[in-house]
Amino acid sequence: MGYTLAEKVLARVSGGTPVRAGDEVMAKPDFVIVYDFPGYTDVIFRQMKEDFGIHKVAEPDRYAIFIDHMVPTATPKEEELHIQTRNWCAEQGVPLYERRGIGHQVSVELGYATPGAFAVHFDGHISQLGAFGTLAIGLRRNILEAFVRERVSLKVPHTTRINLNGALQPGVMARDVFHHIVRVLGPSSCRFQVMEVGGPALAGISMEGRQTICGLAMFTGAVTAVINPDAISRAYTDGRSRIALAEESSDPDANYAAVHDIDLTTLEPIIVLPPNPANTRNLSDHIGIEVQSGYLGSCASGRLEELRIAAQILKGRRVKDGFSLHVIPTSQDIMAKAAAEGIISTLVEAGAFTSSPSCDYCFGRIATMSPGQKAVSTGTLNVPGRMGSPDSEIFLMNAAAVAAAAIEGRIADPRKYL
Amino acid sequence: MALDNLQGRVAWIFDEENYDVDLIVGVKNMKITDINELAGLAMQEYDPEFAKVIRKGDVIVGGANFGYGHPHYPSLRAMRHLGIAGIIAESFSPGFWRGEISMGTPLVSCPGILGAVSRWDEVVVDWAGGTVTNRTNGKVLAFEPLASADRIMLETGGLVPYLKSQMQTANA
Repeated sequence: MGYTLAEKVLARVSGGTPVRAGDEVMAKPDFVIVYDFPGYTDVIFRQMKEDFGIHKVAEPDRYAIFIDHMVPTATPKEEELHIQTRNWCAEQGVPLYERRGIGHQVSVELGYATPGAFAVHFDGHISQLGAFGTLAIGLRRNILEAFVRERVSLKVPHTTRINLNGALQPGVMARDVFHHIVRVLGPSSCRFQVMEVGGPALAGISMEGRQTICGLAMFTGAVTAVINPDAISRAYTDGRSRIALAEESSDPDANYAAVHDIDLTTLEPIIVLPPNPANTRNLSDHIGIEVQSGYLGSCASGRLEELRIAAQILKGRRVKDGFSLHVIPTSQDIMAKAAAEGIISTLVEAGAFTSSPSCDYCFGRIATMSPGQKAVSTGTLNVPGRMGSPDSEIFLMNAAAVAAAAIEGRIADPRKYL
Repeated sequence: MALDNLQGRVAWIFDEENYDVDLIVGVKNMKITDINELAGLAMQEYDPEFAKVIRKGDVIVGGANFGYGHPHYPSLRAMRHLGIAGIIAESFSPGFWRGEISMGTPLVSCPGILGAVSRWDEVVVDWAGGTVTNRTNGKVLAFEPLASADRIMLETGGLVPYLKSQMQTANA
């Protein structure tokens, strides 16, 4: 019986002897990645010293800190948090990446998405590194363990394999694939497991799209997601990986908890209705709902192909009067490329509001909705209060559908604009 | 160190799947940090008398994938403050599980629990025996064993005391 990618990676980082799903291991992360956020980094920095008497992390290059939330700051207190983070990184010799974009994307660009590596974060959306064959797990507050000792305690997760077959139709995007997985398999289908995505349809899904699918894995209950490295992923990671490691793939005879086949050929654009990510429907059944704002961005979106399709739809058209469309490229690198391609000017000419990357649109810190308002969004989540008032509503959908809704001021089928 | 058995009444049953725990104190109250204020808000949508009718040591029962969504900490802080000793659910969402175990909240993953209890039944969670017993109707269910790290985290009272205990052991 073969091994899964997760079993192989965790065997390497927990001492080298083979491990199986269900084993409890002490695993040494190759990378410990966090962003500064009140209640997390400030508490960790304090607890390290006060509770554990640790004044320096060992191997500071294993750590990476991002400043991507509260960017730009709106209160002195927020800026104080960033100052504390800058000082801590300087004192520790830990790399700090500030205002480069959303950390989950920038860590990909910086090579932390090394195939075969084991990465931890407190935030589960780090799972998108799995698109490159990295095992990246969100530990919530248990991330403290990675700051006070070399290894973290972990139960080796089982893996559920999802084979994607067929090909996507125009106007259907990787995000729809993920929401479809939730619809078909359910929001607890991969509970405490690794969601491994494979199959022939992947050949037609870009790395950006794969990041979206892997980055949202938590809404199947998965602890992370992985895709076995292939020519498409290697074209990105070769020469970029941060450490020299042998890549890992699940064996063909790996012991999966379940194997599912999903055909994408008849898949339509999907809408995720409030109040939670399990509420997935065909967008075409919900055309016409009036919406006041739109968000194209987040760690699960806002990359080039999504900006491109939005620009294609909005070129020569106008965002409806009174509708607020926020298009926020996910990283500085993406923004520069989008500008060079003319995407940004197309979007701005159509009436979109755009800014440098920030996480803040996704959780309602800015572009905050009032009671009764409705938004279309490519953000990560649609629970009440996520983008402002608990009495506002969020409809998740792909980037093309957000652009179409921006034109009409109501939920619209993007396919008629393509 | 042994984990104290849970013994109390079923103070509430959330029977829906994918229950969003933020609803316990209300989504609009997530930014409140004052524990007394949070405790006053807890369960108002379900039973306004909740704080008065529960006793220290009572437990909550939940459905499948309890804690799905984007769980925050205030709801369970409030429930612990009111005296709720733990949650027994059909199954838990991993993010919620990790977060609450690290806070030292006993969670018991027990398939079949929804069909085995009614509100105010007296239940016992026997950690060593791996069972949940309903003393009111006599039903006994097996629960899924805790990972050893999770068990020690509950025994020691949460993440920080757990890590201290582990690091002392390693240095001894």
